[in-house]
Amino acid sequence: MKLRRPKYLVEMPTSAMNDIAFILIVFFLVCASVEPEDGRSQVIPRSEKNEEQQASQTTEVGLTPATVTIDGTPYRLNEFQSRIRQILAQKKTEAERVVVLKSQADVPYEHWIGMTGIIERAGGVVTLLLEEEQTVNIN
Amino acid sequence: MAMGDIAFLLLIFIVLLARARDESHLVWQPATGTELVKPTNRNASVVIDKQNVTYLNGRPVQVQNLAAELDSLLGDLPAGGRTVLFKVHKNVIAEFFEPAIEAVSGAGGELHHVLEPAPNPSPVP
Repeated sequence: MKLRRPKYLVEMPTSAMNDIAFILIVFFLVCASVEPEDGRSQVIPRSEKNEEQQASQTTEVGLTPATVTIDGTPYRLNEFQSRIRQILAQKKTEAERVVVLKSQADVPYEHWIGMTGIIERAGGVVTLLLEEEQTVNIN
Repeated sequence: MAMGDIAFLLLIFIVLLARARDESHLVWQPATGTELVKPTNRNASVVIDKQNVTYLNGRPVQVQNLAAELDSLLGDLPAGGRTVLFKVHKNVIAEFFEPAIEAVSGAGGELHHVLEPAPNPSPVP
């Protein structure tokens, strides 16, 4: 038995196809361009590679993954904020408020950014103390 | 009809150009912070991903060369217009991110750490 294919009188309308594609692409473009950019600005002077260059009045903060020290004295994380505020409140000039930050190599960024945030909110200016690599040739 | 086709091709061209600078393929999770602000401008973007690899504008770069490359990117831009977006995976350690910060600082870039807002502390019952 031969089946007869029905003949449609109207074609599928395609005139709106371009508009749909256009709107879809604009939608994807807008979605793709939304990247997080909120954050915190930080001005960091060039690092001190020589300890002799440090002014004697600057405060030194030492960071390890679990501890924080101020001028060699260890503090609990919850005590650090009030102590650094006290110390920096006594400093008059911006040069005195420079805080030299010495981090251990294994300090995670999240910890580092939290601690530098506390120092900056207390009025400190963070500068980094990086260990200088030295190559020693042994004959 | 031809007008629509031209617009369509133009858009695809723009999309492809945009993809060339895209950083969406980089895997990093921002650290949390408070009092976050939007950057005033964005001249360059440095990413350190989950694998401790450093990228400048989506392209892998050696940390030793970062200062020089940033210097040529920032050129003679005035102070206040030399913002460098700094996107570091939250678990990357100081051994990798501190030299990058030093390079940005050495090139005269103004750091803007990209962070996510810290969750609100739950109310004490």
